Amino acid sequence: MLELKDISAGYGRINALSGVGLKVDAGRVVALLGANGAGKTTTLNCISRVVALTSGEIHFEGQRVDRLASEDMVARGVCQVPEGREIFARMSVRENLEIGAHLRRDTAVIRQDLDRVCEYFPRLRQRFAQEAGTLSGGEQQMLLIARALMGRPKLLLLDEPSLGLSPLLVEQIFAIIRQLNKEGLTILLVEQNARIALNVSDYAYILENGEIAFEGNSADLVRDDRVRQAYLGA
Amino acid sequence: MDWQLIWLFLQQGVASGLVTGSIYALLAVAIVIIFKTTDAPNFAAGELFMAAAYVALYLLVFLALPFIAVVPLSLGVAFIAAALFYRIVLQKIGSSAAVTVNVVIATLGLSFVLKGAVRKTGVGDVPRSFPSIFGNDTITIGQAVLTLQDIGILALAVVSMTIFFLFFNFTRTGRAMRAVGMNPKAAVLVGINLRRTRMLIWGLSGLLSSLAALLIAPKILMTADMGSVVILGFAAAIIGGFTSLPGAVLGGLIIGIAENLVGLFISSRAISVAPFVAIMLVLVLRPQGLLGGKVAVKKV
Repeated sequence: MLELKDISAGYGRINALSGVGLKVDAGRVVALLGANGAGKTTTLNCISRVVALTSGEIHFEGQRVDRLASEDMVARGVCQVPEGREIFARMSVRENLEIGAHLRRDTAVIRQDLDRVCEYFPRLRQRFAQEAGTLSGGEQQMLLIARALMGRPKLLLLDEPSLGLSPLLVEQIFAIIRQLNKEGLTILLVEQNARIALNVSDYAYILENGEIAFEGNSADLVRDDRVRQAYLGA
Repeated sequence: MDWQLIWLFLQQGVASGLVTGSIYALLAVAIVIIFKTTDAPNFAAGELFMAAAYVALYLLVFLALPFIAVVPLSLGVAFIAAALFYRIVLQKIGSSAAVTVNVVIATLGLSFVLKGAVRKTGVGDVPRSFPSIFGNDTITIGQAVLTLQDIGILALAVVSMTIFFLFFNFTRTGRAMRAVGMNPKAAVLVGINLRRTRMLIWGLSGLLSSLAALLIAPKILMTADMGSVVILGFAAAIIGGFTSLPGAVLGGLIIGIAENLVGLFISSRAISVAPFVAIMLVLVLRPQGLLGGKVAVKKV
């Protein structure tokens, strides 16, 4: 479904990614792991067309997409759940969700989808009219995922969904990620928490200093000594 | 001064203040929507206002077009000119470093260009007056006397601000504009085209300035320096909190009323000081402006 071929990107003279290649097959959860500053978020932003490539190619559903604008990626069904709390703080929860469907014109279906995403996150329904800035950290993370779902993604890019959340909330969020995948959504998951990411994913890549250091089936990586030492603290 | 006179002055001051205040409010809204989405004040706002008035004057007097054609034409010209300025100049600047400073300099440049253009074309070399569509009959409300023109200005300003607020709050494009102002990064990720949205905002700001110009032009003497009125738009924006649209409107009305009350009660020579006293009072008592939300405290 998605393939990055030897992509490089940087900020000014600093190289953030050099020659990264990865593949996400339809229906799978693929994890992209690595330490802070390894280039995980940059990779997602390259796919979302927010950060420009210096070389390499990105293909989505068989078409080359690395020259497209960011809104074209959303229109094609690649929606990102950004890291941190990138909500529209002064808008209501409802408006935050509706704006996730910004590029869609099917008003009736959008209304159904509003109900559908609230089934995943019943708490958002209770906060519908509230300003999004008043939500708790966990609720904001739910709102971000729900907002991305409103774009009817085929591929969901998740950036550090566990960041800053309590273990209980992390469990909840990942249960929903599993459920979404079971319902057919393809997911590229960026995480620092390697344990939980390897647990939900089918396949994983590990980034070190902007390059892929390891890749393999998640079940195998969990048992890999180098991975265990560096990322699982065992 | 007896109570009756004070009561009369109060009524007259508020009534006239609402009329001029509604113009300041329009200008303040034009300034605030740009500040919120471009992160830089538009220092060409006054000259856009001035140039828009001259475009209308040119169409109306020199080309002798009817009013019904002049209004949409001048609004359209202002919309397109401001949008093009964003598209051609500011977007180029946006890709360089030190963005805010450069944007400010660019808007200053535009203000000189517009002023120069109006002076050089021969339309703006002598003070001119703008014909009015409303008669000079007066209406008495309470004890306040307003001309039909005043009523027309106030009514049209209120109607257009209402339309603007409905557009801004309840349409897809308006929502995208608010989103860009709140969180441009998130806006990009939900598929909003930043450049297009910002260009539309500049256009809309030009349109609002032009509207203010059309409304107020018949009441003032037109010169190439008439854009200095926009200082009061900035003052209104500051009083309102600089990022709040209702605040900008409120600030505009407060300044309009303050000016008129000062003129009636103190001296007409003190009028130009009034807005700045109002700014100082607001900044001392409520630094974030009337509707500017909480003071941002930086976490260390």
